[in-house]
Amino acid sequence: MIGGGVDALVAAHLLGRAGRPVLLLDDGSDARDDEGWVPPQIPRELGLDLHIKRQDPWAAVPLPQGGMLELWHDMGRTVEALGRLSARDAASWPEFCARMAAIARLFERLYGAPPANPLSVGLALRVRRLGRQAMEDLMRLLPMSVAELLDDWFECDALKGALAATGIVHLQQGPRSGGTAFRLLHHHVGSSEGVFRSARSNLGAALRARPGVEIRNARVERIAVREGRVAGVALAGGEELAAALVVSGADPRRSLLELVDQGWLDPEFARSLAHVRRRGVVARVIFKLPGAARVVIAPSLDYLERAYDESKYRRVSSQPYVEVSAGENGIEAHFQYAPYERADGTWDAGRRSELGELTRRVLSGHVPGIAEAEAAVLAPTDLETRAAWPEGQAYHAELALDQALWMRPLPELAGYRTPIQGLWLCGPATHPGGGVAGASGRNCAREILRAA
Amino acid sequence: MSRYDVLVIGGGHNGLVCAAYLARAGKRVLVLERREQVGGAALSEEVFPGFRFSVFSYVVSLLRPEIIRELDLPRHGLHILPLESTLTPLPEGGKGGGYLAQWSDHDQNRRELARHSLRDAEAYDEFGLLLHQMARAIKPILRMAPPDPSSLRPRELRDLLRLGRHFKDIGAKQFNALWKLLTMSSADYLDEWFETEALKATKSASGIIGTMLGPRSPGTAYVLLHHYMGELDGVFRAWGFAKGGNGSVSAAIAGAARSFGAEIRTRSPVSNVLLQNGRARGVVLEGGEEIRADVVISGADPRRTFLGLVGEKHLPAPFVQSIRRFKFRGASAKVNLALGELPNFACLPGTGPHLRGAISISPSVAYLERAYDEAKYGEFSRRPYMDIVIPSMLDPAMAPPGRHVMSIFVQYAPYKQNGGWTDERREALGDAVIDTLAEFAPNLKSAILHRQVLTPADIESIVGLSEGNIFQGELSLQQMFFLRPTPAWARYRTPIEGLWQCGAGTHPGGGVMGASGRNAAFELLGERL
Repeated sequence: MIGGGVDALVAAHLLGRAGRPVLLLDDGSDARDDEGWVPPQIPRELGLDLHIKRQDPWAAVPLPQGGMLELWHDMGRTVEALGRLSARDAASWPEFCARMAAIARLFERLYGAPPANPLSVGLALRVRRLGRQAMEDLMRLLPMSVAELLDDWFECDALKGALAATGIVHLQQGPRSGGTAFRLLHHHVGSSEGVFRSARSNLGAALRARPGVEIRNARVERIAVREGRVAGVALAGGEELAAALVVSGADPRRSLLELVDQGWLDPEFARSLAHVRRRGVVARVIFKLPGAARVVIAPSLDYLERAYDESKYRRVSSQPYVEVSAGENGIEAHFQYAPYERADGTWDAGRRSELGELTRRVLSGHVPGIAEAEAAVLAPTDLETRAAWPEGQAYHAELALDQALWMRPLPELAGYRTPIQGLWLCGPATHPGGGVAGASGRNCAREILRAA
Repeated sequence: MSRYDVLVIGGGHNGLVCAAYLARAGKRVLVLERREQVGGAALSEEVFPGFRFSVFSYVVSLLRPEIIRELDLPRHGLHILPLESTLTPLPEGGKGGGYLAQWSDHDQNRRELARHSLRDAEAYDEFGLLLHQMARAIKPILRMAPPDPSSLRPRELRDLLRLGRHFKDIGAKQFNALWKLLTMSSADYLDEWFETEALKATKSASGIIGTMLGPRSPGTAYVLLHHYMGELDGVFRAWGFAKGGNGSVSAAIAGAARSFGAEIRTRSPVSNVLLQNGRARGVVLEGGEEIRADVVISGADPRRTFLGLVGEKHLPAPFVQSIRRFKFRGASAKVNLALGELPNFACLPGTGPHLRGAISISPSVAYLERAYDEAKYGEFSRRPYMDIVIPSMLDPAMAPPGRHVMSIFVQYAPYKQNGGWTDERREALGDAVIDTLAEFAPNLKSAILHRQVLTPADIESIVGLSEGNIFQGELSLQQMFFLRPTPAWARYRTPIEGLWQCGAGTHPGGGVMGASGRNAAFELLGERL
C-alpha cells in the first residue's frame, strides 16, 4: 500500500481484516484526511469509535453593515438569522435545504460503491425513483453554475457567497462556471439537511492506532512490473519489496507515469492520463491562535468571481476567498485563489509572507487576536512537497464533471484497476473524490477482494 | 371568415419550416408575421442605398440538409456560396507571419498549420475525425422530440429506450468523449490537442458565440461540434453564405410553404392567444381581429409566448416559474459596414482569397477571456471578439460596383449593460469595434461610408428576441434537450391544449437550423421523425 492518506489506510485495514498481510508505506503526506464525510460503513466494518466534530454555527459570514450572518445546524435558528436580512430568503431556506438533501441522498448511495455505468438500467431506475421533482433538479443542477442555482433561490449576497464557496473550493473555476452546482451537492453529501460544511473526524488517527496493518515510513521510487504484472516496489534507499498486489493512494499521474516504466502503458492512455487536470489554487495560512468560529470571507458571488478572474491569468487574488477552521496547531485559513504557477515568478519567502499578511488583513476585525498572531504560510508549492498534493491540488485530480463519477480520473481507471495487473488505485483522484473520507479506499478494497 | 387548421405565430425560419411541413401534409396553415417581411433574424435589407445586408444572422451552416432536400429549397431560390477560409490576424510582433489561416483545402491547411506547429498539423486530422464521429453520434438526437425522463407515457418510454440504446450502440468510448465535450470548457478541451494559441482561440470562439460564457467556462466545448455537423452531410460546406443574404433562406422556405398552400400574412402582430375553457382556439391580432384555428403554434421564444401571448394567469405557477428562470442573457451585437474599398490587413496585404472567407479577431484564448471578463460585470468588451465576413466578395450584387459590405458579429455586448443601452453607448460600442479592427486593417476607418450598430437591446426590439439572445435562450447544458425550454414541456407541446411551440427556444435550438420547426411539425402530425 503506497501513501499515508486516509483512503490508503482504510483499504489497508479492510484488506488486512480479510486476511491479507499488508504493508503500508507512508510517505508522510498529510492528505487532510480528517475533513469530509466518513461513510458510516467504514467505522462499522472496522470497529472504529470515531469522534466527529461539527462546528456550530457551521458558517459565520461577516456582513458589510457590521455583524455576522450565522448559519446553524438548527434550521429554525438559521431561518431566524436569515429573516433579519431577507424575509424571502428565510422563507426559501427550508425548501432549498430539502431539495438539495434529496439529491445528496442519491449521491450518498452512489459514493458507497464503484462508479455506476451511466447507461445502466439500474442507475436509470434509481434516478427515476427519486421522483419527478428531485429528478428534474438533478438534471438541471449537474451542469449548472452554482451562481445560477443560488440566484434562482436567494437574494442575500452573504448567504449566496457562503454557499457558493463550497462549489468552488479547490477548483480552478469561479461560481459562474458550469459544473459548480454539482460541487455544492458533492460537498453536501453526508451532512444533515441545512448544513453545507463537512464535519471533521479523527478517522486518520484512529486508523493509524488500529492494529492489523504494518506501517513503515518510506518513499517509493519505483513500482516494479514484470510481464505486465506488478512485482513489487523499490524504495528510496534502494531496498526492493516484492508483492503480488500494489495499491497506490498517490495521485494517478505520479503512480502510473512516474513510478511505473512508461513502456508498459499504451501511449494513447498515457497521453490521456497526462491531460488529467490538477491545478492547485489554494494556499493555507496557519495562525497560532487557540480557536475561532468558522468565519467565511465570501461576501458575494461577484466577489468570488473576481477572485477567480485573477487566477485565470495566474495572479493571486487581491481579494481572496478565505475560510477559517480550527486546526491542530492553531487556526487554519484556506486561501483561494493562489495559483501554483505565478505569472510573476516563483513562490519565494517574500511572496509567501505577502500572502500571509493579506490573509491577516482580510480576517482582521473578524477573528479576535489575529493582528498579533504568528503566521505560517503554505503556498501551493509547499502543499505539493509537504502534503503530496500534485501541483498543490488537494483532490489530486480536479473534481469537475468531466473528471467525476465514471470518468474519475479517467474512464479506464474508474474501477480502481489500472492497465498493469495487480496494480490498483485509491485516493482522492478516484471515485468519489476529495471531500469524502475513506470511501474510495473502501470501494477499492472491496473490488480487490471481489476480483480475488 | 375562413377557418384554418393551424396558425403559426411568427414568420422566422422555424415558423416557416413548420408551416411548410404542415401544409405539405395537407393542413390549412396561416403564418402571422409582425413585421413587413418574413424571416425574423434571417433577413436581408438594403440598409443604405445600394448596400444590402444580412442584417442579423449572416452565415448558413446548420440548416438541416433534410429540410433543404424535403422542401426542395434550391428550387425556391436558395443558393449557398461556400466560405473557403478563416483568417485570424495576429497582433504586430507576433510570430508565424502575423496570421493563422485555416483553409478548406486539406493540403493547403496542413501547410499553413505546420508553419505554426508541426504537432498541431499532425493532430488536426485526428481531431477532425473524432469530432466528425461525435457529430454523427448526436445527429439522430437533433431530430428527436426529447422524451421526458420521468414520464410514464408508453410513447416517451419507448423514445427513452431508443435513446439509451443509441448511446449504448455508439460505444462507451464515444459516449465518454461526448460527455467530455458536453462538460468541458473549449479552452481545456483544445489544450489537450493543440499548442498554437491562435488556433485554440479561433476554434474555441465557436463555443462562445451567442452565449454569456467565456472560453474557459465549462460547457463551451460542445459547440465545437456544430462546425463539424454541416460538413458531414455532403450537401454543402460547414460555413456558407446565402446568395442575396440570409433573407433568401427565409424567402426560399416561405416560397416552399406557399407552394404547399400555406398562407403568409405580414404586418399582422399577434396580441394574444385566444383561450376558451383553457384551450387555445386561435389568436387575437393587435388590431382586434380574431382568427380561429384548431391549433396554434408559436415560433416566438418561450418568454414571449408564455408570459406575453398567453399570460401568466392562464398557466400553472411552477411552469411560469420555470419559464421565468429560462436564461436569455444576450451577449452579442452586430455591426454592418458599407465600405468604399476593401480592408487591407497589415498581416496579409492586398485583396487575396482570404477576404472571401471569414476573418476572426481571436488572437489568443486570454484575449477572448478578457473580453468576457468585462461583460460579466455589465460592460461591453473594449477589445471584443469579432467574426467578420465580406459578403460582397462572394455575391457582388450586395453592394454597388467597386464597393463592399462587411458584416461584423461582435461579442461581448451584454444585454444588461451597466446604465442600459443608450444611443451614446451604442456608438461607443461601434467605436470600440472599429478601433480594434483598425489595428489589424489600418485603412478601415477611411473606407467606411456608413455604419449600422445593433446592440442586444436593438435585436430585442426589432426582431423580438428576448434580451437579444440569438438562440431564443442560452444554449447551455441545463437548457438543452429535454430541459429546453423546461422539463416536461420539451416535446413542442405546452400546458395549454392546442398550443404548441416550434421556435429555437425548443430542442435542438438556434443557429438557423430549422430543426425545431421540422420536429414540431412531425410531432404535431404524430409521425415518426
